[in-house]
Parts: sequence; C-alpha cells; structure tokens
Amino acid sequence: MSTPDQVTVTRVKETVAARSDGALLSATVPHADTLQFTIEKTAMRAVVEGLVNELQARFMISVGTDKRPLTGDFAIVHLFSLDPEHLYVLLESPVSEKDLRIESITEVIAGANWAEREFRDAIGVHPEGHPDPRRLLLADDWPEGVYPLRRDFPYNYRPPRAENVRPQMREPPPGASVLPMGPFFPVLEEPAYWRLFVEGEMIVGCDTRLFYNHRGIEKLGDSALTYNEIPFLAERICGICGFIHSTCYCQAVEKAAGIEAPRRARYIRTIMLELERIHSHLLWLGIAGHIIGFETVLMQTWRIREPVMWLCEEISGNRKAYGMNTIGGLRRDLPDQIKPKLLETLAKVEREATTVRNAIIGDTTLHARTRGVGVLTNEWAKKICVVGPPARASGVAIDARIDHPYAAYDEIRPQIATQEAGDTWARVLVRVAELLDSIRLVREALAAIPGGPICAEIKEEIPPGRVGVSVVEAPRGEALHFVQTGGDNRPYRWRVRAPTYPNLQAMPAMVANANIADVPITLGSLDPCFSCTERLETLDKRTGEVRVYSHAEILEISRRRARSGGAR
Amino acid sequence: MTVWLIKSLLLCLLNVAAALFLSPLCEGIMRKLRAAIHSRIGPPIWQPYWDLLKLLGKEDLRSTGGIVYASLPAFTLGSALLLAALIPMGTAAPLAFAGDMIVVIYVAAMSGVLLMLSGFASASPYASIGSSREMMMLLSVEPILAIALSVGAFKAKTLAVGGMVNWQVQNGPCISMAIAGVAFFLALQAVAGKLPFDIAEADQEIMGGPLVEQSGPRLALFRWAMWVKQLVLAFLLVEVFFPWPHLGSYLIDLIATIVKVLIVLVLVAVIDAVNPRLRIDQALGYYMRVAFSSLAALAFAVIGK
Repeated sequence: MSTPDQVTVTRVKETVAARSDGALLSATVPHADTLQFTIEKTAMRAVVEGLVNELQARFMISVGTDKRPLTGDFAIVHLFSLDPEHLYVLLESPVSEKDLRIESITEVIAGANWAEREFRDAIGVHPEGHPDPRRLLLADDWPEGVYPLRRDFPYNYRPPRAENVRPQMREPPPGASVLPMGPFFPVLEEPAYWRLFVEGEMIVGCDTRLFYNHRGIEKLGDSALTYNEIPFLAERICGICGFIHSTCYCQAVEKAAGIEAPRRARYIRTIMLELERIHSHLLWLGIAGHIIGFETVLMQTWRIREPVMWLCEEISGNRKAYGMNTIGGLRRDLPDQIKPKLLETLAKVEREATTVRNAIIGDTTLHARTRGVGVLTNEWAKKICVVGPPARASGVAIDARIDHPYAAYDEIRPQIATQEAGDTWARVLVRVAELLDSIRLVREALAAIPGGPICAEIKEEIPPGRVGVSVVEAPRGEALHFVQTGGDNRPYRWRVRAPTYPNLQAMPAMVANANIADVPITLGSLDPCFSCTERLETLDKRTGEVRVYSHAEILEISRRRARSGGAR
Repeated sequence: MTVWLIKSLLLCLLNVAAALFLSPLCEGIMRKLRAAIHSRIGPPIWQPYWDLLKLLGKEDLRSTGGIVYASLPAFTLGSALLLAALIPMGTAAPLAFAGDMIVVIYVAAMSGVLLMLSGFASASPYASIGSSREMMMLLSVEPILAIALSVGAFKAKTLAVGGMVNWQVQNGPCISMAIAGVAFFLALQAVAGKLPFDIAEADQEIMGGPLVEQSGPRLALFRWAMWVKQLVLAFLLVEVFFPWPHLGSYLIDLIATIVKVLIVLVLVAVIDAVNPRLRIDQALGYYMRVAFSSLAALAFAVIGK
C-alpha cells in the first residue's frame, strides 16, 4: 500500500466539500490510500463532476448495496481512482426505499454506463436520466421487480420459465441491414451477441446484448460461502486469469481486516501473477493470429505457451485454478527445487517469444490488417475509463502494478509499456513488450524472494462494517475487487469488476465506420473475457437445474482428478 | 472417325478421373505441409478422402427449396471437371477440338459463379456478404488469367491451349511468358481460395461465406470442386508457361509435369501458411497491381520479347 501525499488528500477533501455544498454527511479515511465520503444523493452528480473535471479522477465502478438491515437504506458507492496520486476515492450515497432514484452520472463520465445499469438490475435503484433504459445483467425472461442482490432475495431462487422472450435490441438506422455476430460465433470463445448495422461492408452502428454467462458469483459470496471458501470461487471467475481474481479478493479482505500478508507470500503471488500474464499474452497473440487467419502464429505461440502451463501444474497441482490463495497469504509454498526448472523454462520462452516478435514485427501483411484498425483515441479511452493494454496503447499510462502497488511490486518494479496510436497494432506491441517484461519480473522476484512463513496468523474474527478496495493488473487490464465485511464470517458485499467490463464499452466507438472484416480483430484486440465480466451459477443444460458446487464437492472433484493422473 | 472419338472420350475420362481422384491427395499433401509449418503432426494425407466420404454419407439438408439451389453443387463440381477435360494434363487436351482458350477462361470462372449463386440463394446474411466478396475477387482475378493466356495466344498466334504449349516447347523461355506465368501463379492463390485470399469464405469473419448453409453431400461437392479446380489450374500453369524440360519421352515428361504441379501446390500451401487474411479492399488493390504488371507481359509480347 503506497501512501498518497497530504496535499492531494486535502485537495480532494476540499473539492468534495465545495461541490457537495453542505450535503456532505461524513468523510472518513478507512485506509491510507482510500478516502470515503458519504453525501446526500442530490449532490452526487455535482461532486462527481468536480472529481472528474477538476482532479482528473478515473471512474472505476459503482457498487449498489442493500444496506436496509444495517441502516434502513440502500447505498450506492461510486469508486474513483487518482492514479498518479495512488489514491482511491469512494463516494457513497444513501438511497431511501421510498424514493429509489439517484441522479445518473453517465452524462458526466461515459464509463459509468454499464455500472449504473447493473445496480438498477441488481438492487432496483434507478439512475435517473440514464440514456439506456434496457437491461444489462438480468436475463430477458427474468421477472420484473425481482432484484437478485437484495438481502431478502434467496440465492437459490428459481424464476418461472418464460417463453418467447427476445433481447430488446435497437433497430438499425434506415438503409442499413443487420449482420448478427453471435450469440455463438466462431471467433468468440464465449457467448456474446453483437448486432452490426452494415451498409455493404461498412459498419454504421452496432448494438450488443451480453451477460449470457452471468453466474451470480457475487450473490453466492455474500450469502452461501465463507471468507476462506470464496478464493476458490473467485479463481473460477475466469479460465485464464483465475489467480488474479483470487489474489485481488484476498487482498481486499486483508486490507479491510488489517491483515498483513508475509513478504514471502507476496513474492510468490507476484511470481504466479506474472506467470499468468506470460501465458495469457501468448494465448492472446495466438488468438489474434487465428482471428485474421494467421494459424501459424496460433500454433507456434500456443506451443511456446504450453511449458508455462506445465510449470504452473508442477507448482500448484493444476494448469489453471491453482487454489493457492487464502486470506492472509498462501496455502501452498513455492518449492525451492523448482527454481532451476522455472529459470530454464523462462529462458526458452523468452528465446522463442523473441523469435515470434521479430517475425511479426516485420510482417507487412500483418501491418496491413492491424495498423489504423479499431482505433481508440486517447480522448475516448479516458471517457470510457478503459484499462490495461487497450488504455496503454492509446497513450493512457495507467498500470495498477505501478499506480496502486500490491504484492511485491513495491520492490519488483514493472516497466510500463505505452503506445500512442491506439490501433490494433499498438495493442499488439504493448502486449509483446509486457510479455518480455514479465519474464524479467519473474526472474527478479525469484532472485529476491525472502524466506519465512507464507501465511499470516489470524487470531481474531474479521470485524464487520469495514471496506477494502483492491486492484490487480490482470493481462487484460485492471481487475478490481471491493469488499465490505459482514458479521457471519462472510462479506456483506463483494463486488468484482473484471477489466473487460470497461474495455468492452469502448467497442462501439472502435468499430464505427470500420469494415466488417475488421470487427473480429478489433474485438479480439481487447482480449475480451466474457465469463470474467459476467459471472453466474453453473447450469445443467439437460435438466435446466441450477447447481451450486459446495466447497466439499469442489474438493472431491479436484481430488478425483488429481488421483486419475490429470491430463498429462 | 470412330477410333478418334473413342480415343478422345477415353482421354477425357482419364483427365476427369485423374482430377477427381488425385485432387484430394494433393489437398492432403498441402495440409500435411501446413501442419509441418505449424509444428503439428497433422492429419494423414488420406484425410481429405475420409472427409469427403463422411460428408457424402450425411443427410442432405437444404436451407431453401428450388431445383436450382438443389442442383448447384453438382454443377459446380461438373464445371471443374469440364475444365479438366479442356486442358492438357500431361497429354494433349482431350476436348481441345470443342473449345479454345476463351472457353477455358469461361469454364474456369463458372465454378466461382455457381458458388456465388448458391450463396445468394441460401438467404443468409453471411452467405450474401461472402458471395459479394466472391464476385469482387472473381472480377479482379479473371482478367489476370485472361491476360496471361492472351500473352501465350499472342506469342503462339493461336487460341488453342495445346498450340501455346507446343509453341513454348519449341521456342523456349521468353520474358513475356515468364511474367505472364508469375501473374497466373499469383492469381492461382485466390482462385484456389487460399490465404491471404480466402476472403470470400473467411471463417472467422463470415463463417464460411457462401458455404455457411452448406453441409453433408452438398458441402462435399463444393469442396471437391475447389480441390479439382486448384489442381487443374496448377496443371494449366505448368503446361502453358513452364512446359520444359520436354524430352520427348512420354513417361519422363509426365513425371516432370507432376513434380512441377506439386511444386506449384507446395508454394501455394506455404504462402497460405505464412500469411494472415487480407481485407477485400486490400486484395482488390493487390490484384489491380498484378493485372497492370501482367499488361507489361503483353507489351513485351508485342515487341517480340
């Protein structure tokens, strides 16, 4: 946790006080890098304007919480980050049950669009003046007036089956025809529905319906699981960056509870996070090649990637879903005897990845397909609050590892990779640079790793009513977990925001006036992860039955798999 | 008269059978090569035969009714086989008496046109985009084939394909025919529907384009037609533009021709494996430049080079 300077803190406090015009209810400092303000909902929009316009705060996410059992009201929290100042700002407003409305801030900051639609769907607080009245998160056959994240809503509720429902989609502009991409489409590994409005080969607009993968993970976290069970679920938010989500969740709880993870655990987390970045970026490079028909890139990068997966399996027992994180540190140490093998594999990956980089950097056909394609301007990147490689490729120099250092990134300093062009080629360059930098980071972390315990001893119960905000720089961008602690050994509210959530919102701006042929690679260049963004329960297609795996069942399944010898 | 007719018919059958039954093998070799570039083991080289058998044994599903739509796959394969009978494949062209270079160009375009029609008829937005791409590619590639063959016609002072081959054999290499041959080869990449020019099918963008609604036996016939076409045009390229060494021994010449055809197909497969797909406007620009370059070949032919 890095401490922001007092001048900034004072400036933020002054701005909020001036803009709220007497409607400021309380101002607290839960952590050195977090400022929390409670203001009347009538002043919210003005305060947000002040933060965004005067302090260049970056909008992160909104959290809607049903606090009726605690205070009698609902609460809406807008989270902001002042990146260069290493500061989080939380703006909270109580919303009374009698008047379930709050002024929308989407007009002030375009990136708040989905976040506001999401709390409207989840707890039923209406963002007034929001430009899009349609559902975001809930299925189209979900009954009206049922809000899944309210406390009185049981996690195992099953809505009645509805027939003949269709997503509400916009009509194409006159003269344009519709080209559907999805819900199932060859280059999208997961369901997503894009309706492209085309004139000939030219895109004149688009509309989307997402959240087909919503698994209700947040609801499970605050009603069915306990603090130390959630990391296993968090790890399954994403099939690629699972460790990122479990680390981010654990850090949020540790921060809220004031637990300090030991240095060794922080170093091992850093190593695993960077290993995930290495294999994720190689995976992405292959998929990007596949999207534009360059199968050789796909086959070669995935071949290079495979030894990294074997390493992860050797360290944790699994290629993915390592199950290593727990509140306060780790459940599994990094064995010393793996070090030489790790270094050897890294050297091989570095050598081969450099070969691939040199091959693609001079490829003129590749330039033709990626230069000037899917341009995201610096202005739009800031408006939509894009994160990760897409932001850095558009000249927005943000990186959670540098702006809000966590794990061992205060000692192992990453090199930020930025580009100005904002096109697909720039995003390729950023990721390739990061891939090679990650190899350096793992090497440095291995050299500097201290001994000692891997998990902090936790003697007392985690006190209720605390908040913790944690970010982790995933390969796709900044992942964010917000935790408000609760009383019954589980969070009162656990909010996950995956990096694809803001990044996907930039898609319409990026494909406007593009050619149909450029849409898949533009979408692909965001490295979208729909499961991360969406999150729900597992659904058995044959019986239609919703099944929630318990801790014991998950354990049993993984043990069975381990006994059978695994895939390799 | 009767003897001549029977001989022609037999040669015809030989060409058609060779094109029909060897083209999947060539595709298999190309796949294997692609796999090697990918660091994969790849499917056995017989795999395209099993693919065809499997597809032919499946249910015939059609997205729309109508006799035209139903018969298009058969006509497409038929047109590709007709092309095989019109060109010399190691022997004289069996149907040379029935058509010259003009007919060859028309028949070569036929399978593309039929594929395009079936795309438009299948009433899918992906298919219609794919078909319009196919049409654009056809319009930009066909002139190159025509110009390249015209160079041969100009040099040999005959429109008969066989005549061009004989002229080439007798007169040896020259600049204009070499340029025309290269232009023909570049066009072959698009005609065979290989990367970077498989734009009309573009699986990742429009899910196979004109083929999106085709399955089972219909898909088998379309695929087969494309394989036949790529093999037959490779033969045409080799015979007209690179017929040497011509030693006069039939067997050796045949083996040399087959080796040359395989070299052409290997080059096509390598280009396919090391390139991403171009966008349609980029491909059109590319072939525009190739077409202008092939006009240079015509200019050389005029000044007698």
